[in-house]
Amino acid sequence: MPDLAIEIRNVVKRYAGHVAVRDLSLSVPRGSVYGLLGPNGAGKTTTIRMILDIIIPDSGSIALFGEPHLTPGIANRIGYLPEERGLYKKMQVRRVLKFLAELKGVEGREAEKRIAHWMERFELKTAEKDWGLSKVDELSRGMQQKVQFIGTLLHDPELVILDEPFSGLDPINAQALKDTIVDLKERGRTVIFSTHLMDNAERLCDSVCIIAHGDKVLDGAVADVKARAGTRVVALSVAGEARDAITPVLADRSLVARADDQNRFYEIELAPGADAQILLHRIMQTGAAIQRFELVQPSLHQIFLERVGASGVEEGMSGQG
Amino acid sequence: MVKVDFRKLAVVFRREYLERVRSKWFLIGTLLGPVFLGVLMVLPAYLSMRQRPSMDLANVIVIDATGTNLGRRVSEGLKRDFPASPSPRVKIVEPARLAVTEDSAVNAVVRKEAYGFLVLDSNTVANRSVRYAGRNASSVSDVQSLMTGVKHEILAQRLENAGLDPARVNALTAEKLETKTEKIGNNGREAGGGFGNLAFGYIIAFLLYMMIALYGQNILRSVLEEKTTRVAEVVVSSVSPDTLLAGKVLGAGLVAITQVTAWVALTLGMLFYLGPILFSRMSGDAATAGVRARAAAQGLPTDAITAALPTPGTALMILAFFVLGFIFYSALFAAAGAMVSSQEDVQQAAMPVMLMLISSIIFMQPILLGPGTTLSRTMSLIPFSAPILMPLRMSLIPVPWWELAASLGGVALAAMAAIWLSARIYRVGLLMYGKRPSFSELARWIRYAG
Repeated sequence: MPDLAIEIRNVVKRYAGHVAVRDLSLSVPRGSVYGLLGPNGAGKTTTIRMILDIIIPDSGSIALFGEPHLTPGIANRIGYLPEERGLYKKMQVRRVLKFLAELKGVEGREAEKRIAHWMERFELKTAEKDWGLSKVDELSRGMQQKVQFIGTLLHDPELVILDEPFSGLDPINAQALKDTIVDLKERGRTVIFSTHLMDNAERLCDSVCIIAHGDKVLDGAVADVKARAGTRVVALSVAGEARDAITPVLADRSLVARADDQNRFYEIELAPGADAQILLHRIMQTGAAIQRFELVQPSLHQIFLERVGASGVEEGMSGQG
Repeated sequence: MVKVDFRKLAVVFRREYLERVRSKWFLIGTLLGPVFLGVLMVLPAYLSMRQRPSMDLANVIVIDATGTNLGRRVSEGLKRDFPASPSPRVKIVEPARLAVTEDSAVNAVVRKEAYGFLVLDSNTVANRSVRYAGRNASSVSDVQSLMTGVKHEILAQRLENAGLDPARVNALTAEKLETKTEKIGNNGREAGGGFGNLAFGYIIAFLLYMMIALYGQNILRSVLEEKTTRVAEVVVSSVSPDTLLAGKVLGAGLVAITQVTAWVALTLGMLFYLGPILFSRMSGDAATAGVRARAAAQGLPTDAITAALPTPGTALMILAFFVLGFIFYSALFAAAGAMVSSQEDVQQAAMPVMLMLISSIIFMQPILLGPGTTLSRTMSLIPFSAPILMPLRMSLIPVPWWELAASLGGVALAAMAAIWLSARIYRVGLLMYGKRPSFSELARWIRYAG
């Protein structure tokens, strides 16, 4: 039995009109970076809130660090960054942070020391200006986001849960967040984050779980997920003038299940039972100048589209983040 | 059931308390409160004392159509009663010329040569009526003061007409009674006059109402702020909503107590140090025994105010009513705040709570007038009005201990019910955005198991 940071078993959450999470089970190994992927409304936030005991599941069990998630004091070991972010606007930044740290059981003086450290690390305290003495609403949006990260991490949590952490971040803060996630992993912490941006997940995650409409679609280590999906994907690139010529070939549903035009190349998913060699032959027959024909592992984005289908896309799914 | 982590409760409580006390509005309110209260207490008394002499109350025309010397008597009497005012002018006329004289008197009043005119005629002698017309005819107190003098003189005249010796009439009718009131409580006669108690009860009830309304709504706004800034979710991931709610209510409650304590201290300070100076100056101006006696009867000098201060037991009772009443109302206000997600909806959501609060204050007047009536007893026992009205009744009359116990117990039960109910609404509502919940949705929120 591997050492698990989170173990969710058969959790169900129903609301008045719909089922938000349906019989969900997943395991997050300790020390990993875990991605919770899915379109908007898939049940990611509900799942996260249940882990944090903000919402009570209708049935099923949740264990954190091998203990029931309602164990007193367990919240002090978790850091949480919600999707909708906000702080007390009229409060001094330092005081907000101290409040958040103390809520997690960090003693006052220790909290102040850590706040000073993080403020410097995120350049909120420089020789010219100490933003810690300003009120929250005097800070720019980007700075407020930094303050919010600090608030999530001040108590040095073993488990960090980030709900859509990349939404609304400027590129600099997005990079800072990625660095922080990598740093946390190196220090043996567990990070779980939800996102609908597959690129970030593919780059950062050790394991993922894809959910849609409250159901788990697949989960596992990213490498396994990709291997399981098989090399049914071809990356094809032809000289510009030949693009029209190959269109009929790509439209042949006995060969091609889906062709995704990525501008510089096509990401082609082979139809079930189709042979890549026949596809190559057919394209050569059109006389198109082939620049690239490669059997590739599908991207998470491809896997997602294949498994969740177009309905996921319609409901606000965005793949290329 | 309600689960509370006391260490985290302390953290929430400290934030709620310190952030409020640090705000500049708290400071302004605390400093201006006593000034406002002091003005509220002193100004009416001050004005009523200053008014009499400067009003030239006796600057009237006495039209005497009685054919007796009643007009002159009345004029002499008014001169005695209001020495600071210009003397009345007497016009003795034939009854037939009364109408013409009245017309010229009206003109005199219009030209501001006099405040008004008194008409004494055969009806007056027959003990039926006296007429007064003037600029201040609608002022009950002015007319009453005038008429007391007039009646006194008419009575004296009638006694003389009945054959009594004028000197004896004077001696018999000279009425120099001062009203002295004394309250009798459970322990017998208590210090402090009626007015002192009345003012004290009124101020206490008003303060209780004001603090509950102000800080209750303050809690509502603070809950709404946590919702709209979305900080609520971070906070409830660290601390249970019940603890958060409890910390809020207690924090804001202690701010209210801090503020009232500061107000009382500052107000008493003002009265003790400034009061005597103010009153000695006033008395000097007014220079009449009557005014000074009136001030004493109204219990304004500081010794009467100290006498009206509550015993430690009463103070403790009032504090208990405040604490429980505050918990009751602020829990409901917090629930109202959790139900809405925008400032526009606040009024409607808070309406039922405000109605309860306002309906208690509406009954202040009847209870002030009749603290022992069935209505007063009922209103001081109903949990939602008891926190304000029972302290008021208590300071007016002795209330039997079992009524106090029933009232306090009722408020305590209501407070517990309010906490239970609000904790449930709060827990669900805190993360709900969008439209205000309907009653059936609200019922479902409450049913969600803890």
